[in-house]
Amino acid sequence: MNYELVAGLETHVELSTKTKIFCQCTTEFGGDPNTHCCPICLGMPGTLPKLNKKVVEYAVKAGLATNCKIRNVSKMDRKNYTYPDLPKAYQISQFDQPICYDGYIKLSSGKNIRINRIHIEEDAGKLIHERGDTYIDYNRGGVPLVEIVTEPDFRSVDEVLEYLEKLRLIMKYIGVSDVKMQEGSLRCDVNISVRKKGEDRLGTRTEIKNMNSLNFIAKAMEYEFERHVDILESGGVIEQETRRYDSDLNITESMRDKEDVDDYRYFRDPDLVNIIVTEEEISKLRGELPQLPDEKMDIFINEYGLPREDAELLIKYKKIAEYFEEASRDIKNKKLVSNYILSQVFRRMPTDSGKEECAVSLPPKYFGDLISLLENKKINSSMASQALEKMLDTGKPVSEFISQKDMEGIDEGTLREICQRAVAENKEAVESYLGGKEKAFGAIIGYIMKVTKGKADPQKAGDIVKEIIKSS
Amino acid sequence: MSKIKDLQRLLETKEISCVELTEKYLDNIERLNKTINAYVRVTAEEALETARKVDERIAAGEKLMPLEGIPMSLKDNISTKGIETTCCSRMLQGYYPIYDATVWETLKKQNAILLGKTNMDEFAMGSSCETSIYGVTLNPNNTDHVAGGSSGGAAASVAGNMAVFGIGSDTGGSIRQPASFCGLVGLKPTYGTVSRYGLIAYASSLDQIGPITGSVEDAAIIYDCLSSYDPKDSTSVGSRTTTHDKLNNSVKGMKIGIIDEFFDGINRDVKSSLEEAIKVYEDAGAQILHFKMPGLNAVLPVYFIIACAEASSNLGRYDGIRYGHKTDTYKDIDEMIRKTRNEGFGKEVQRRILLGTYALSSGQYDAYYKKAQNLRYSIIRDFKKIFESCDIILTPSVPVTAYKKGEALIDPIEIYMMDICTIPANIAGLPAVSVPCGFDKNKLPVGMQLIGNNFEDYKVLNAAYQFEKLTKGSYLSPEVEI
Amino acid sequence: MITREEVLHIAKIAKLYVKDEEMDQLIQDMSKIIDYADAIKAVSRDSDVDFDNINNIANAFNEDLVLPSYRRDEILMNREGGENGYFLVRKSQRG
Ligand SMILES: [Mg+2]
Ligand SMILES: [Zn+2]
Repeated sequence: MNYELVAGLETHVELSTKTKIFCQCTTEFGGDPNTHCCPICLGMPGTLPKLNKKVVEYAVKAGLATNCKIRNVSKMDRKNYTYPDLPKAYQISQFDQPICYDGYIKLSSGKNIRINRIHIEEDAGKLIHERGDTYIDYNRGGVPLVEIVTEPDFRSVDEVLEYLEKLRLIMKYIGVSDVKMQEGSLRCDVNISVRKKGEDRLGTRTEIKNMNSLNFIAKAMEYEFERHVDILESGGVIEQETRRYDSDLNITESMRDKEDVDDYRYFRDPDLVNIIVTEEEISKLRGELPQLPDEKMDIFINEYGLPREDAELLIKYKKIAEYFEEASRDIKNKKLVSNYILSQVFRRMPTDSGKEECAVSLPPKYFGDLISLLENKKINSSMASQALEKMLDTGKPVSEFISQKDMEGIDEGTLREICQRAVAENKEAVESYLGGKEKAFGAIIGYIMKVTKGKADPQKAGDIVKEIIKSS
Repeated sequence: MSKIKDLQRLLETKEISCVELTEKYLDNIERLNKTINAYVRVTAEEALETARKVDERIAAGEKLMPLEGIPMSLKDNISTKGIETTCCSRMLQGYYPIYDATVWETLKKQNAILLGKTNMDEFAMGSSCETSIYGVTLNPNNTDHVAGGSSGGAAASVAGNMAVFGIGSDTGGSIRQPASFCGLVGLKPTYGTVSRYGLIAYASSLDQIGPITGSVEDAAIIYDCLSSYDPKDSTSVGSRTTTHDKLNNSVKGMKIGIIDEFFDGINRDVKSSLEEAIKVYEDAGAQILHFKMPGLNAVLPVYFIIACAEASSNLGRYDGIRYGHKTDTYKDIDEMIRKTRNEGFGKEVQRRILLGTYALSSGQYDAYYKKAQNLRYSIIRDFKKIFESCDIILTPSVPVTAYKKGEALIDPIEIYMMDICTIPANIAGLPAVSVPCGFDKNKLPVGMQLIGNNFEDYKVLNAAYQFEKLTKGSYLSPEVEI
Repeated sequence: MITREEVLHIAKIAKLYVKDEEMDQLIQDMSKIIDYADAIKAVSRDSDVDFDNINNIANAFNEDLVLPSYRRDEILMNREGGENGYFLVRKSQRG
């Protein structure tokens, strides 16, 4: 029997505001335990929350960048549950009036993954369990999050991974999050169910909580899919429950031991007031959005003529993409720029985070100047490569490494002499060419380029060679 | 008739030093508190230290700030850095706040002299201080009776001449009821005028901080000092106008509304005192208008649902992990938390937490909490409508006078009903003051409540002040001898 | 009338225990109050407006500016038994 996977995602993205969502403690990652805390984020008796304005702006931007509608009036609610990482015994979140709703992200296949909602909420502290004892660090407590909830539109693990990559890239591009998965600033809950292919009805779903690695998400989903299929095949019934992924054993396991009572008693937080976002503010924020990865991709491929793979590599790192755009501003043959970035520049940034940072001391303008010389055939590619290395080392302009003389090429008299010598010393090739083998002509030009160390203009040399052969 | 001004005059003319004044109050506390139980903590050292500072400033010829050098008390649910703050609950015994409530910060800046923290019903849930772990507060007017609650300690500290004024909090009448029981002035300001930051929450959308004083003028002086916008409180607005400079407006032509339902079933002595008070206003040229408010019977359940629901959430944080009581023995974290809460909270608090949890729980939310919020909106609208045709509304503060000790614990519903007159102002966020207006046959004080429209605190204080003047202060507690 | 099971469920999410010997009295008290609160079910609702806050305030915001956090010894001041700067809850504790 053929089974189909049906999955939906709830993704928590930590916003890169400077301060926490309801107090003015820093959101900086790490730090000694409980050193980024104050009475407010610790929920000490009598304290009151006040919403960070940037959180609203970032959430709206996240919504706009994922094609969401923005709610003009929204509110904050309390989600009540008791757990040691939650100092007030409620999480301030949004329940029935999320700030963004009804959006989508388009996959490369053209399929839309629908986004049901994006809401604002606060992160919890961190628990460390050691021999059953619980150590609590509230530094992360109160860091702002957006929770992005999709419809159950995924039909494969690959779709989930592509969606997450896209989501990550979008958040990064619009500057609302660093989305560093290893620091937990993007975390996923995956809802999974299976059904026989062709069926409409959704199966019973399970939810795998709190994963922060694409690799684990993929493995957990595969495991959970198999588990569902096995149960159904053996005539069993799937139990709706929350599960966690154990990456050591590569299994998912029930979290029922937490004895969760799912009755969150949501109600409007009486300590906070309505959030009103006017249409003017929305269009202002829309205006602040940069070009999004998808738009860039379209331009890179269709206007700049880059191969898709190259475009993807550039766009994957926002700063690289921007460097490319700057450097290729005055270049017609954009691919030339892309080639040098993908080879020589990338070689200097072996890691993902290196590319992410894109610490190039060479101004993109200088980069462009170099490529411009190449494009105008003032220099050849090997000269360009060598010069680029030195430029990347020093950050200095091309004029430091390639002199005017180097670029002047060869005067007509000299070129004619060299051409004559070429014809004289490549008799066989000349014969073959005259015998109709066009290819042989290339060998003659190759000889000239070699002798001139690439400074000759091959077009011009070709004309002279033809002239010589004809007249001989 | 302002005690604050009288005392500051004595201080400025150096007839008494601030240290001497403070010592007199500390002596009174020493003498009376054993019986009255107004204070659960006395901060003599801090008080004298501030007093010395004030004396230095006076010696240097500095002008006194409006509350400078005035001995006062704070209810034990107001956060005071380094001074134990317990809400009179076992749950918070030994809890030392690491920050100051905004009101306390303001008072500190003014060099007001904090004598100590006053008794209250546990987490402000009650109306007689009988749910306090420190025991009941007695009424200085008659120690067979309670001082009321939940700000009973605040009221008794003033009535017993153990403080010039007390700062309390009012969620359903907790300032006005004890003020009424003790023959004092109690003001619940418009919601949002005084910052709630640092007030340990009972029900966030109803709680307001306010003063209990021996005169209307003092209440106005304190209100003017405390009512300002606080960026730390999202619901804060501050006042729109000062009150002290408007006390002398005449009541002539003032339109005073009487809502008949408020007078249903009240104690006979209370009723006759109120009728006389109305006559005082009428004789002075005020216009009395009568209104009906059939929605009033929904007010109590609406209040109770909202207060308990918010409380159940606000009190979730007491889990034994970061501060406050923690149980000694347990087998896992869940048991630790539940045992801690069982041991830490008294019966009434637990009952309200359970009721609030119930009102918010799935399946009940729409019928109770949502409906209550909805009705709250229509109650607000009813008041708005009434205020279109009158300046203030006059009601009894409490249908009865101070309970006898032990009387308040009998039937929960009956006790909740006693708050019927004070609760509407919390539901609608309106300013309301209780002023003494008579005595019952046992010489226990009777209070009259004046309710104003939002941000018209100055109108209720003006009307209250005029009443005090017209009756020559004859219902106030006797003048303090210093 | 609230049932015993309902009380137990509510107590569980409210993180409280109800002692057996207190159960009957509690059921009685709660039922009485709930019956009383049920009065609002009879009141007809003439609007569906959701109450937000008394003064209809909106958009009360902090700017995104970092202020110094509290010292850790202050944060931990009210709880002994913290270790290496963490709050600590032992797995279990015997008397
Ligand atoms: Mg969430
Ligand atoms: Zn903080």
